[in-house]
Amino acid sequence: MTTRTPVSFRPHDLVVDDDGTGFLRGSRCPSCGAHYFPTREVCAGCLTEDLETIPLPTDGTLYTYTVVHRSTPAFEVPYVLGYVDLPGPVRVLGQIDADPEEVAIGMDVHLEIVPWGTNDEGTPLLGYRFAPGGDA
Amino acid sequence: MTDVYVIGIGMTQFGKHPDRTAAGLGAEAVRGAIHDAEIDPRAIRTAYAGHVFQPMVTGQQVLGQVGLAGIPLANVENACSSGATAIRGSFLDILAGEADVSLAFGTEHLTGAFKGAFTPGEDDPEAAVGATMPAVYAMRARRYMEEFGLTREQLARISVKNKRNAALNPLAHFKKDITIDDVLMAKPIAEPFGLLDCSPVSDGAAAVLLASGDWVKRHGDPSRAVRLSASALRTGKVETAPGSMTFEELTRDTANDAYERAGVGPEDIDFAEVHDCFTIAEVLRIEGLGLWEQGTYPAAVERGEADIGGRLPVNPSGGLLGKGHPLAATGVAQVVELVKQLRGDAGSRQIEGAKVGIAHCRGGKTVGVEGAACTVQILTK
Ligand SMILES: [Zn+2]
Repeated sequence: MTTRTPVSFRPHDLVVDDDGTGFLRGSRCPSCGAHYFPTREVCAGCLTEDLETIPLPTDGTLYTYTVVHRSTPAFEVPYVLGYVDLPGPVRVLGQIDADPEEVAIGMDVHLEIVPWGTNDEGTPLLGYRFAPGGDA
Repeated sequence: MTDVYVIGIGMTQFGKHPDRTAAGLGAEAVRGAIHDAEIDPRAIRTAYAGHVFQPMVTGQQVLGQVGLAGIPLANVENACSSGATAIRGSFLDILAGEADVSLAFGTEHLTGAFKGAFTPGEDDPEAAVGATMPAVYAMRARRYMEEFGLTREQLARISVKNKRNAALNPLAHFKKDITIDDVLMAKPIAEPFGLLDCSPVSDGAAAVLLASGDWVKRHGDPSRAVRLSASALRTGKVETAPGSMTFEELTRDTANDAYERAGVGPEDIDFAEVHDCFTIAEVLRIEGLGLWEQGTYPAAVERGEADIGGRLPVNPSGGLLGKGHPLAATGVAQVVELVKQLRGDAGSRQIEGAKVGIAHCRGGKTVGVEGAACTVQILTK
């Protein structure tokens, strides 16, 4: 029996290392400092074309959230979904790995790498969520 | 520059039409507009057709069914702003002198194309982690609650108001008054929203005929023509830093384009039809249009200021929450309502003394953009 190595569910957006840690990949404009997720070719602020691809910080604060009760068949409900502001600044959407009662606007959260089902070939996938608290 | 007038309006019943097609619904609305204008359809020089989830060249199928052939027609897709964008096409043709009469319609057989919660496009990285359209608006509502003390009951009142108006509109999807408790007890969708905070999946079509001021003088009925003073369209900006999710710069900027073109300001507006795809959306639109200060609209609804008979009625037709939301038909149906109100033909939901009305749509979501397409139209009597 072979165990297949898990891979990122969106390899361009989420980089996962062998030790199971990872980061989101974004863009930074060298001219005006704007940050973006996901990566872009052209800065929307100053139209610079040579944006840098960078690892985004993994700690941020929750800007807002909801508890989703109706979704597409790909997701088991309910789940908490929120916009997280990371230093940059840049805002990223993700599921929040917490009970709805523990979630509050402004709370500190950190990126975590989590199992994300399997692809069509049966390879296990890794995705991301944000969990309460700072990283360390 | 010439003035542009709405000379004819047509609209189907909004609701579930399992046995109809987008083309058939569109043809019914177009025939309605032609009869309302009392014109020979051969006077129509150009046409624009809005639709979102329908087969390609649905617009030409509609023209075929009503016997119009040969004239230029463009199919228009701008998500929920598709119908309003079609109207802008006709508006510009008349301003440019390309047409003295132009047809714009929107049609959608949504129940045949679509079921369940709306999601952004399939390749959308936010959809990949569980975003749905109700969830995105629910997050805006939650943030608005935090910043401005909005209550769950205040949100519910918007749905109650719009469904009460819809009960006075024979063409509306919803026909029944509801209570605040009905809204609070409805099936949860994305907190704080339940089912009655969300616009329904509806089928329907609406059409308008526009004509130049000269044409109206020579052939039209000036007593029934209503001036389309502005038809503004903007594309949302990609944000270079996280912005406010409780104030719509895109709505404000599009409205300012329209106010400038029409030579009016928010203080001149007598009533509004706005894109209330969710209860919170009505708040965000109205405040973006400058009709109420940011943070103040929910309390104004509580005081009845946005009711028919209030200081500034909002969504007298029932809005998307009550009249229904057949995507591309929505923007055209808003203009149909403005024309009925300004003609004094709105029956039991008539707003007394209405002289200036505004219609607002916005639709679509792409990453980093607060809204893809936004339209604002101003009609004056
Ligand atoms: Zn830049």
